[in-house]
Amino acid sequence: MKPRGNLIYRQILDEIGKQVQIHPNYADLQNQFALILMVDGKMERAEIHFLEAIRLNPNYRDAILNLGFLYMETKRWKKAEEIFLSEAKRRPRDGFLHHVLGILYLQTGRQEEAAGRICKAMQSHSHYRDDYRKKGVWQRGAIRLDPKAESALKRIHSLPYAQFHNFIGLNLAKRGKFARAVKELKKAEGLNPDEFIFHANLGTVHYYQGAYSKAIQEFQKALEINPLYGMGYANLSYVYGLMGRSREALRCMIRAVRLNPRYADLRYNLALLYNDRKQYRKAVSELKKALRINPNYLFARINLGVLYEDQKRWKEAKREYRKILRITPDDEHVRKRLERIS
Amino acid sequence: MLREDFAIQANIRRMLARTDIDASQMEFGTVKGVVYIQGTFRHSRFNPSWDSDKANQFAVNSLYLLEKKIRRIAGVSDVIFQLNNWKKEKGHWFQVEMTKEDETK
Repeated sequence: MKPRGNLIYRQILDEIGKQVQIHPNYADLQNQFALILMVDGKMERAEIHFLEAIRLNPNYRDAILNLGFLYMETKRWKKAEEIFLSEAKRRPRDGFLHHVLGILYLQTGRQEEAAGRICKAMQSHSHYRDDYRKKGVWQRGAIRLDPKAESALKRIHSLPYAQFHNFIGLNLAKRGKFARAVKELKKAEGLNPDEFIFHANLGTVHYYQGAYSKAIQEFQKALEINPLYGMGYANLSYVYGLMGRSREALRCMIRAVRLNPRYADLRYNLALLYNDRKQYRKAVSELKKALRINPNYLFARINLGVLYEDQKRWKEAKREYRKILRITPDDEHVRKRLERIS
Repeated sequence: MLREDFAIQANIRRMLARTDIDASQMEFGTVKGVVYIQGTFRHSRFNPSWDSDKANQFAVNSLYLLEKKIRRIAGVSDVIFQLNNWKKEKGHWFQVEMTKEDETK
């Protein structure tokens, strides 16, 4: 997996390196660059860039966890423990953090503490119980840390590698290399199936590819893990819309709007769906809400004018068209519509 | 609005992701099959060794291709571009200078 052995990884590393030089104050770029350096085995340089990302954004969780993994990889256990304990205190229900702490304690010979963390991880998500059972750690209702199980667990340092594949996958998707992007994102998902964003990203790439059923599956997995992920519902809605399943598209867009009520674009799309189902009053109401959020949202105003026109509400239609022509006087379509009803 | 407007939107979203265009700087809407594209037209990647003529020609070709692809989507009857930095007149694309207000958007 090392970048130096792969042309695409190498190209991406070089590109990100150049971008870091141009934009040294972007925490995201610093973290991405550090991640690739770490997977490439350049630990000292990676540490510098992770620390820089955290300095720029002290709450940057991905960079903090990646730095913790770097310390584990370089056997600086105390520093790694500090990071993961502090994160686990902030998010006591995050099974992944307990899982990582369990591995860390195993690595340092603290079996009792490891067992405690493994228990907490299992309580958080059934995935861990299944995984521990497969690895022989969970047998007949009890934790068994025999040498074989321990060695299976110690091999898992998945997060930075999962992040790495996720990042490479997204980068490939931007380049239009969807098949390779899917492979990378599947690697990320396989390494950390609990991370909703990996499923969501895979769903998005399937949507772009036109593999709609697979896209739906992935978005649904993401939403099972994180039911508050509003954009997941919006993306599901777009996919259902493309499949002609407008009822499901509407149901999902309603949820997306409930979770992101200040997002004018979602309200606009919800209005289109209401209109498709001839629920004109609801469509008008959503367009008005979108315009309250963003009064310069031109498409929403044009749609509103057309809806008024369809309902023979000439006065309101003219008012909306005039407002549009004040912003874009060259819009011939709107001008003709206004002339026709004046 | 026609029944297809939402599907057209979802199709454009998908189509833009499959191009080299930086979709984060553009907005699009659909009104009874008429597609509106607004914002700033930029590529997400282009060869830094190109001079401005070559970069402009690349942009013009991309704009023609973008329009063609949108028109190919089922239900689309027209495409209206209202871009800050490019304008189409009598079938030809011209680069226009952006106002300071547009640049800060």
